[in-house]
Amino acid sequence: MNLPILSLVVFLPVVGVAVLIAIPGDNHRAIRWVALLAALASFAFSLALIGYKTDGAEFQFVEDYSWIPAFGMRYTMGVDGISTVLVLLTTVLSVVAIFYSWGPIQVRVKEYYASMLLLMVGMLGVFVSLDLFLFYVFWEISLIPMYLVIGIWGGPRRIYATMKFVIYTLVGSLLMLVAILAVALAHGNATGDFTFSYTALRGFGFTSGLQALAFIAFFLAFAIKVPMWPLHTWLPDAHVEAPTAGSIILAGVLLKLGGYGFLRFAVPLLPDAAKTYAPFVIGLAIVAILYGALVAMVQPDLKKLVAYSSVSHMGFVMLGVFVFNMQGLQGAVFQMVSHGIVTGALFLLVGVIYERTHDRTIAHMGGLNGRLPQYAAVFGLFTFASIGLPGLSGFIGEFLVLLGTFRYNGYVAAVTTFVVILSAVYMLWVFQRVFFTIPSDWMRRFWPHLTDMNRNEWLAVAPLILLVVALGVFPGLVLHLTDAPARRILDAVNGANGLTGFTLPW
Amino acid sequence: MDYFNELFPLMPELILATLALVIITTDLFLRRDLKWILTPITIFGLLLAGLALPIVWDTNDTVFHGFYRVDNLSLFIKGVALGIGVLSALFGPSYLKVRRLPLGEFNAILVFALLGLFALASASDLITLFVGLELMVMPGYVLTGFHKTNRYSNEGGLKYFLLGSFASAILLFGISWTFGLTGTTHLDGIAQALGSAKVSPGLLVAIGFLTVGATFKAAAVPFHYWTPDAYQGAPTPITGFLSVGPKLGAFALLIRIFVDGLGPIRADWLAVMAVLAVVTMTGGNIVALTQSNVKRMLAYSSIAHTGYILAGLAAFAAAGSGKVATQGIQSVLFYLLGYSVMNIAAFAVVGMLQRDTHRHGGIGSFAGLARRDPWRAAAMAILLLSLTGIPPTVGFFAKLYIMIATVDAGLGWLAVAIALNAALAAFYYLRIVVTMYMREPEDDPAPIDNAAAGNLGLLLSVAGVIVLGLFPDTILTLLQRTLGTLF
Repeated sequence: MNLPILSLVVFLPVVGVAVLIAIPGDNHRAIRWVALLAALASFAFSLALIGYKTDGAEFQFVEDYSWIPAFGMRYTMGVDGISTVLVLLTTVLSVVAIFYSWGPIQVRVKEYYASMLLLMVGMLGVFVSLDLFLFYVFWEISLIPMYLVIGIWGGPRRIYATMKFVIYTLVGSLLMLVAILAVALAHGNATGDFTFSYTALRGFGFTSGLQALAFIAFFLAFAIKVPMWPLHTWLPDAHVEAPTAGSIILAGVLLKLGGYGFLRFAVPLLPDAAKTYAPFVIGLAIVAILYGALVAMVQPDLKKLVAYSSVSHMGFVMLGVFVFNMQGLQGAVFQMVSHGIVTGALFLLVGVIYERTHDRTIAHMGGLNGRLPQYAAVFGLFTFASIGLPGLSGFIGEFLVLLGTFRYNGYVAAVTTFVVILSAVYMLWVFQRVFFTIPSDWMRRFWPHLTDMNRNEWLAVAPLILLVVALGVFPGLVLHLTDAPARRILDAVNGANGLTGFTLPW
Repeated sequence: MDYFNELFPLMPELILATLALVIITTDLFLRRDLKWILTPITIFGLLLAGLALPIVWDTNDTVFHGFYRVDNLSLFIKGVALGIGVLSALFGPSYLKVRRLPLGEFNAILVFALLGLFALASASDLITLFVGLELMVMPGYVLTGFHKTNRYSNEGGLKYFLLGSFASAILLFGISWTFGLTGTTHLDGIAQALGSAKVSPGLLVAIGFLTVGATFKAAAVPFHYWTPDAYQGAPTPITGFLSVGPKLGAFALLIRIFVDGLGPIRADWLAVMAVLAVVTMTGGNIVALTQSNVKRMLAYSSIAHTGYILAGLAAFAAAGSGKVATQGIQSVLFYLLGYSVMNIAAFAVVGMLQRDTHRHGGIGSFAGLARRDPWRAAAMAILLLSLTGIPPTVGFFAKLYIMIATVDAGLGWLAVAIALNAALAAFYYLRIVVTMYMREPEDDPAPIDNAAAGNLGLLLSVAGVIVLGLFPDTILTLLQRTLGTLF
């Protein structure tokens, strides 16, 4: 069977968009179903990737066609263990986000679902591209739909937030484009083979000067996306203004594009630079972990709190990547998946209460446990997953990263382990304030109208509950896939000597 | 028969000249309600000239004793020019009609301007070059002041005329110095003379004047002051034409003078070109950020685009010779093609929102366009994303090509400047998208012009923007064949 699985996964949502265009804009029911079916179709085909053979070739399901031969750009797609995991995460979360949107999104429905489906195309494309140029194209394609989703269906300050999101991302990505060109041309001029192919460029010994500059450009692009402190300031704004489904995708998948970029491109392509700059990146990651946790603690807005906790959790991902050992790398990938599920679910749950009261101020809540017991139970589950309670997926990622960090440096591990306590502080405290204290006067006004989670909300969150438990109990589901890719990254870095003869001031 | 051989490569030019005369004479005899027929006539003539281009492809010969060269480079530029002509002829009529401006004269002047552009592209001698340039810009002055009862149009036309003449004079002065120092006006003769000579102070004066004169025409900072007023004052579809036609001509001029003529001393003008590129793109973008009139904003943004294209020229100069240098010129030509399609269409959309003659292209007229006319809003959004340089559009690939050329030529910092400028430009281009998609319509929204011709032009442009962005390879191969014969 030679179905172009990856092309189908990536481009089936486009078919959905084409169908959407043909449907009249006021037929909301048909629009919702078409969007959901398109996402489900993509998800169904992505399930085929489970057939990835860990003992087979590095990249499987490969598709390779000539695209722009004049510059050696090709349409090359393929997945290894890391991309397999992230593709599945993306399709699952996209289905959840699109299904959850059925209720909240009532205006300009057609445009909304078209944007969500195009967003899917961009994100999935990034994870499966094995040609740097193709990767860049998908990277940029993922930007515009999110810009529309925040800007049209967002909160009061949506335009400020969405412009900030776009400009931040564009600055980074355009510099990355220059770096991609510089790397590809350097390889082409040295070998006579002008190509953007990832497998050809990887392992080519770029000069130290080029590696340093290209790494800085890649770093900016990916670090803005992750986001790393101090480039994170777009994130809280974007999250607070984005509609719920936008936040699910933003936290669940878009941030992972940054982490994936480091694992797939920045580190293996430029191992010397990565090795030299690792302490610098680790330093920033530690600041991000601490800073995110501390700022999350004092947020009055429930959604902003979850957003800042993302900064902290993504700091763990960066830390895991740059300590350069198996535990760290595996933990980083696992943490990405886990954070996608847990934070996606938390944003969804914040959306649930927001739909009922149109308010997210923590001080306005309280005592919700009495009125919404099911909601409290689900929220509690994901609170514990976010803190990293054993048995749930959050624990595995953080534990592996901390293990890797300990192998790197005991003191660094001590500092970051301490932050895990902080995350318990802010998550448990907010859980207490929202669900257990006496209901505020403000909330009492809603009391008679408050209803517990409805069927659709349950259906949307159910797959995430399943995953968070399943991955917590059977982490091997992910780890056996990411083992070989992590080893390859590690080999690339261990084989590197670091930058020589060219050092920047830092 | 000798005449035939001389004139055969000029077939496209002859068709254009005939077309212009046909339009003028037909216009005299047409009843007022039949004037619309001039548009199909113009387009038919332009397409006919377009059909002649492949016939004379690969001529690569000079005619008129070395004064006029028909090579593939010139033919590529002519092809782009004809495309601009067709789009202008499609976008113009309905805008002119509501303002009671004469269609026949518009079409005839347009064709004359294209003829000048043709001559400019084919010039192999400084005299032909100057004649072609004037034939191109004179109609431009007339077109800018075309709305003669509107004082903004008058002001724009006058400013354009005065500053344009001034620039022409400077250019002419540079030409005279070049002639004095090299003893010839033939471009290849100049190149030969410069190949052996050392750079003298006199030559630097010549380069200086030529640079100022030529970049004046291309609207590079700091010689751009005529642009915003001329662009804002001119009737909007004409602004669209002015922003791409004369720009294409100006770069044909730059290529002819600096590549064909001054190519041997490229090391001496490289720095000037590179600095001009950065100053122009940054200056244009920064001023565009503060504009609230879309026409004016697009005018400044077109200055920024000049900067990107100049970077391609700098890449040519920095590369020395061979494939990398050719790549610089190719990137310039590709950018001109992409820029022409997207910019003229963007101005056309602004014009379509000015059906009410009191509208001046303020950003407010775009408010809520996505609800009132989703297709037009989507088309404009695609054009703006292309102007920003977001894939998969031609604007992205054009910028990419320039970046490849600059990086390959060792001007990585110039590529970084382009990248940062593109992010800066995103700010004001996306502001229009924000207005279209994220704001409510005004209380008395601007009526929208829904003429079939304009819609067809818009459809063609948007299709071109996407198809050329996704599959640029045809054009790239064509460009390689175009310039393979040159260097």
